[in-house]
Amino acid sequence: MTALREGDIEMKLPSGARGRKFDDESHGLSHCMKAVDLIIELNDRILFVEIKDPEQPGAPGMRHEEFVCRFRSGEIDRELARKYRDSFLYEWAAQHLDKPVHYLVLVAISALDAAMLLARTDALKRELPFGGPANGTWTRRFADGCAVFNLTEWNKHMADFAVSRRGA
Amino acid sequence: MSLTAIQMERFTAFEKLKVNCSPGLNVFVGGNGTGKTHLMKTAYAACDITKSEVGFAEKLIRVFMPSNRALGRLVKRQKGSARGAAEVYRSQQKLRVSFSNHTTVPESATVTGAKMWRAKPIQSVYIPVKEMLSNAPGFRSLYAQREIHFEEVYADIVDRAYRPPLRGPIDHDRRTLLHVLQQHMEGKVTIKNDEFFLRSQQGNLEFPLLAEGIRKLGLLWLLIQNGTLLGGSVLFWDEPETNLNPRLFGALMEILLKLQRGGVQVFLATHDYVVLKELDLQRTQEDEITFHALYREEDTKELACHSVTAYSEIHPNAIAQTFSDLYDREVNRSLGSARR
Repeated sequence: MTALREGDIEMKLPSGARGRKFDDESHGLSHCMKAVDLIIELNDRILFVEIKDPEQPGAPGMRHEEFVCRFRSGEIDRELARKYRDSFLYEWAAQHLDKPVHYLVLVAISALDAAMLLARTDALKRELPFGGPANGTWTRRFADGCAVFNLTEWNKHMADFAVSRRGA
Repeated sequence: MSLTAIQMERFTAFEKLKVNCSPGLNVFVGGNGTGKTHLMKTAYAACDITKSEVGFAEKLIRVFMPSNRALGRLVKRQKGSARGAAEVYRSQQKLRVSFSNHTTVPESATVTGAKMWRAKPIQSVYIPVKEMLSNAPGFRSLYAQREIHFEEVYADIVDRAYRPPLRGPIDHDRRTLLHVLQQHMEGKVTIKNDEFFLRSQQGNLEFPLLAEGIRKLGLLWLLIQNGTLLGGSVLFWDEPETNLNPRLFGALMEILLKLQRGGVQVFLATHDYVVLKELDLQRTQEDEITFHALYREEDTKELACHSVTAYSEIHPNAIAQTFSDLYDREVNRSLGSARR
């Protein structure tokens, strides 16, 4: 079983899943394109994963407060959408997108309850036009699904990709 | 002196239950039929009799309206003869009423502690779910003269709304609250010939022309402006969220928290997540909030209450569970087989 790490968070991958860090120095276009943290390829689909961890042990208090402020204002939704769009474009140009893509966002804030996660999932969907315009000119889907999780909900819904804190 | 506890024994839906009250804000949550309104009406009846000559048993009949005004119908239903009781506490003071399920008239009930209880009158308000101000003109006289099938809480709230303002200037805290409400209503409430109007930049708008949510804010404005809601008073509000746009919940909870800080004891019954979350987000360490979760015990099916001071500890929380179910279904739809 392999594992991917992003800051203090470690994600275990099931056998057969191929995962890589995407938002690192190998990206090469970080000056002009945003990037999701991880890309995981499965037999029948691709997962784009973004991890936000303002409660990372040792993180300054301001970082947490700033994130919560952006989260509540909806600013974070636009940033998450841009990361997905740029990553999708990057991978499309590299001819890596031959399967449906799902976008999973892990926000490691313990106070997020189901109502807030639902609201953020709906908001993210509004920022990402999955199926294109109503006139049906798109023949491919831009994304096949997205959802926002906290650590507990991630492990409940994505048990095969369990996450944990390295410091725990 | 605020209410400290409410206790029921074989009364309405309750077999046996005691709720210890916060002197600040009390929030009742729970599914339909878990007795939230019954607890508030009983406590309100106990408060209201201190301002009138009406007996506790008679007031319970008026606010609950059992069929044929038969007090015994308020005893929890069971086979054979039974006796029910309700008790309301203010520190060491206790007001108690008990009666059998055969009791038909209030005079047959046993009431104890009433003399001491009435010695210190309690100003109280009960805001029912249905808004009444738009129907207020003529309602009072109709209610006084005819047997119309309305619980007395509706007549009482209209009476409170018609009260003239107190003498003297309005203090700073009340002015602040009125200002917040005026901003959201975009006007002030006036009364002309028993009719309520919102005086705004558009002119005087009669209450039936206003959205019901705005009428609710108008009622709260009147109760603060006429001095009904002052420190030491008790406010009961059944489902304040009804017909109110969720955008206004934040302002409403801000006002209720401020009233509580000013010494008003508040009781709310709610089914709404936003109401609870606003209280959770806006509260300060000094605010005295107790959440009372009413539920049925799995084994006995009897009503029980779990009281906590933190939103995150509310259990069982039917509202949060509903969102949790919705979220799970949304994730299932969004991800499909992404989980493999």
